[in-house]
Amino acid sequence: MKKNGKKWNKYLYAGIVMTGIAVVLGILGFFWTPYSTTAMSASEKFSAPSLRHLFGTDNFGRDIFSRVMQGLGTTMVISSLVVFFSGLAGILLGAFTGYFGGVLDEFVMRVTDALNSFPSILLTLVIISLLGTGRQNVIISMSLVFTPSFVRIVRGEFIRLRDADYIKRARMMGVGKLRILFIHILPNIFSVFWVSVMIGFNNAILAESGMSYLGIGVLPPDASLGNMLSDAQGYLQSAPWCALAPGLTIVWLVLGFSLFSEGIRRLEG
Amino acid sequence: MKYLGKKIITLIMTLFLVSAAAFLAFQIIPGDVVSSILGTEATPEREEALREELGLNDPPLVRYGNWAAGVLRGDLGISYRYSKNMNEMMPVAELIGDKLPVTLWLAAISLVLIVLISIPMGVLWAKSRSRVLDAALGVITQVTMAVPSFFLGILVTWLFGILLKWFSPGGYVGYQENFWGFLGYLLFPAISIALPKIAMTARFLRNSMLTEMGSDYVRTAYSKGCGDQRVMYGHVLRNAMMPVITFLGMIVAEIVAGSIVVEQVFGLPGIGRLLISSISTRDFPVVEILILYITFVVIFVYFLVDILYKVVDPRIS
Amino acid sequence: MIKIEDLSVAFGGTEVVKHVNLDLHDGEILGIVGESGSGKSVTALTLMGLVSEGAEVTTGRILFDDVVLRQAGRPCDRALYRKYLGAEMSMVFQEPQTSLNPTRKAGKQVEEVLRLHTKLTGEEIRAKVLETFRAVGLHEAERVYDSYPHQLSGGMRQRVMIAMAVILHPRLIVADEPTTALDVTIQNQIVELLRDINGKQKNAMLFITHDLHLARRLCHRVAVMKDGCVVETGTAEEVFDHPSQPYTRQLVEAVPSRMEGKAEEQSRDRADKKQNPVLKVHNLSVYYQDGKSNQPSEQAEGTGGKRRTLAERLFRRKGQCVVWDADFEIYSGESLGLVGESGCGKTSLSKAILGINPCVEGEIIHASIRPQMVFQDPYSSLNPTKTIGWLLQEPLRAAGALDRSLAMTKADREAAAYDMLRRVGMDERYFHRRPSELSGGQRQRVSIAQALITNPGFLIADEPVSALDVTIQAQIMELFLKLQEEMHLACLFISHDINVVYRMCDRIMVMKDGHIIEIGETEEVFGNPREDYTKLLLCGACGA
Repeated sequence: MKKNGKKWNKYLYAGIVMTGIAVVLGILGFFWTPYSTTAMSASEKFSAPSLRHLFGTDNFGRDIFSRVMQGLGTTMVISSLVVFFSGLAGILLGAFTGYFGGVLDEFVMRVTDALNSFPSILLTLVIISLLGTGRQNVIISMSLVFTPSFVRIVRGEFIRLRDADYIKRARMMGVGKLRILFIHILPNIFSVFWVSVMIGFNNAILAESGMSYLGIGVLPPDASLGNMLSDAQGYLQSAPWCALAPGLTIVWLVLGFSLFSEGIRRLEG
Repeated sequence: MKYLGKKIITLIMTLFLVSAAAFLAFQIIPGDVVSSILGTEATPEREEALREELGLNDPPLVRYGNWAAGVLRGDLGISYRYSKNMNEMMPVAELIGDKLPVTLWLAAISLVLIVLISIPMGVLWAKSRSRVLDAALGVITQVTMAVPSFFLGILVTWLFGILLKWFSPGGYVGYQENFWGFLGYLLFPAISIALPKIAMTARFLRNSMLTEMGSDYVRTAYSKGCGDQRVMYGHVLRNAMMPVITFLGMIVAEIVAGSIVVEQVFGLPGIGRLLISSISTRDFPVVEILILYITFVVIFVYFLVDILYKVVDPRIS
Repeated sequence: MIKIEDLSVAFGGTEVVKHVNLDLHDGEILGIVGESGSGKSVTALTLMGLVSEGAEVTTGRILFDDVVLRQAGRPCDRALYRKYLGAEMSMVFQEPQTSLNPTRKAGKQVEEVLRLHTKLTGEEIRAKVLETFRAVGLHEAERVYDSYPHQLSGGMRQRVMIAMAVILHPRLIVADEPTTALDVTIQNQIVELLRDINGKQKNAMLFITHDLHLARRLCHRVAVMKDGCVVETGTAEEVFDHPSQPYTRQLVEAVPSRMEGKAEEQSRDRADKKQNPVLKVHNLSVYYQDGKSNQPSEQAEGTGGKRRTLAERLFRRKGQCVVWDADFEIYSGESLGLVGESGCGKTSLSKAILGINPCVEGEIIHASIRPQMVFQDPYSSLNPTKTIGWLLQEPLRAAGALDRSLAMTKADREAAAYDMLRRVGMDERYFHRRPSELSGGQRQRVSIAQALITNPGFLIADEPVSALDVTIQAQIMELFLKLQEEMHLACLFISHDINVVYRMCDRIMVMKDGHIIEIGETEEVFGNPREDYTKLLLCGACGA
């Protein structure tokens, strides 16, 4: 069993390759793109994918491949920040509420339950409508919306582990509370937490591109995968590649990541 | 009965809290509603009169009380943005009234598609001993789950609308005019919402069944001389469905979220589209009512799930 | 009647059962004994055609009368098995908790056997099930019939399982550790029930157990298995009294038994021991804390699925008394055994002594600063993300953090950890390994080392050897005795296994329903028990 469990699996290979390509293109997109992402060219409007323009050009004659690279970078940076902030908040809140319980826990759980029962996009929309649109506000609102699910997972793990025999024994030895929380328990939840980070990252990508699609996330002329899709929808008949390129890129990214996390899960299992 | 009463009280409490939170949140946002309605050229007297009429001079809690009382009476307030004509304001109830059925039907069709397809698919998948089928379903569901619903909507439009011409994109028919035409048009947005959820639910059911199949009582059933079919349908399915019920409850919340986006893609005049436009135009009375409404739907579904669970699982007391 | 000829079973190329030959006659009880991983369960499951699909029969065959049930190189003929299972051969499993379908009523689950194998009408089926329920000692047959498994106690569930197995008077009953999950007194009843059924129905019975006493008590013949092979077969007397194989001898000797004298322990100076009490418990009552999910709590007390009435629940909320007026002392260097069945208040008492449960009345006076505890499950006692060395140093670090005067340098701590590792009989190279690389016995050694490294003077050991195989059990018990001698350690030794307590303890305390009903010198309590309940406990384990 161990032999099989520890072996690299095809999920992991596929996931690493797909995510790797996307990450490299996205990071590269910050420094260099084949064409300028904003330069318009009347003569090259709606040219179909070719060697010159890998993914074709859009209604302003902008190179879609370059814009996809830029959009990928934007999406990944926003998603990473969101997962970072909400994951951190989740660890802190979840650790204390889960381990100590009591009134604070009761309160935090009520709030997270209420927020969790909401469709996340609705909640993001509401917060955005309070804060206004823009990149920063997208990150803030998404972080708020993503925090409850992390709190829930971390809290559940802390509740499970605070009654584990080895934690009981640590208490008997007189180990300090903070040390129990962050040195004894925390390393034990990483495998579970890691999976939820992966899932959270995927959801963040979907949510960010969804919001940009609805016109309340990253705003033009900055490229994001979501707003490119929304622009391209009008030319679906004449230039389907305008929509397919950013759309399939999202699918590629999300699929790669979920294969990667599935691979990790099997590696550990 | 006591259980039911407790659940109903929680349901009402939650609605109350959500409505208060939503209402008060919109009170603290900067920006004057009155000047945005009347424009910059209105006289101060007119502005003051409108302010009085909208009750904007009262303290927030009083306004919440009035608003909540109104909602309970069926008076949902008036829209800041829309008006019937030059002199008459648009009541929110009227604004929402003819958009509600569109969203409800969309959600209903999606849910039916999800339940009808995912459950047999999950059972079949769990039963299958064919490696090819297993792997194929694995890949298909994995890919489907990675497609965001708005892109799926665009793909469906492109494939069925533009390439195959099974429907004409943008050619929405109102339910008042031609009900069957309306349902036919909704089928495609519903597919866009349902596909990823079908994949998720089928996977979930399959895993749940495989877990159950490994449990001790299944071995006991075999030791009695039960055949595969009897073990599957007499013992495993019922127990495996329990977590799926909870899962489907969550899916309903997701369907609501999905319809907000997909209405945008297909140009459906439902409440999702209204919500987006109201948010971008800061038409808060509409936003508040829509939030309240969606919350109600979601919480009510959870409530139903709890009740259903209690009926199905004897262990819950 | 049953013939297992040269049977080998492999999982993914690894043979776990190797060339096993067994035969079983009508009316005979054959015991298979062995430690975990010896292949006894796989043999039984293969016989029943219930082994998982990954298993492959590589050599040999299984015969029922003259019908070949299973043969090497052929897949399991499930249609053939279906005719036999339930009607001609049936099985009782170890975990009555999980072996019944949680969402179907007990009666319906037993009925299913009749529906599958007979053409009786609904009424007849119900009558037959009720009759069988009564025959297996379920007196409230009607109530049990309409109960879901979680509404029944462990013993009742196992009776339901047995009813299911015997309802059609099968010719073969396979019982796989049927009493392991149960309390001693219930265990006795179930064993008597099985013996009774065997006497009446004259079925052949294959009884799988790790408990040698039990095998000796119930079985006519015994087969000893080790690493997939049958090492010895013979009548129970032959095998246990005159084992011919070294492994069997080792196994028999490892089992703590009252037959061996306690001479060496007795030579210790008792009078000297009584000088320094490390713990005085005076008029201690412990109250039940309502199971608030948010408070760190030990595992739930009491028999798992018992139905609680509303009144009981309300009562509990106010704090039901779970330990009444406990009054005892433990002296330096002494082991006090605490025996009793699950739910008797053993765990509550130990929690109160450790100060985990604050709902107490009475006095607890400790002489040692920080009593430590060793738990039953070696797999959850050690933090899996740390190395052994880190784990052994942690108590020292904690002590240093609490009291500056005890702070040690890193080098000192490491030296102390290495020293402790040696004292529990482990190699130094384990210092940098993690718990997952250790066996159960090794983990328990590390747990003990971790508990004793600060030299606490007093240790509570909660079933420390119950999860281990007998041979390992014997080693850990030796280790305990050795360390106790060396460190002059006082120990409260909690166990359900009366033989283990006999081996380990100077004095014994018997608990029942929250009361300490008997306390005294080990020899005295065993030789001349005052209470009927104590006699019952002793009888269950003596193997007579």
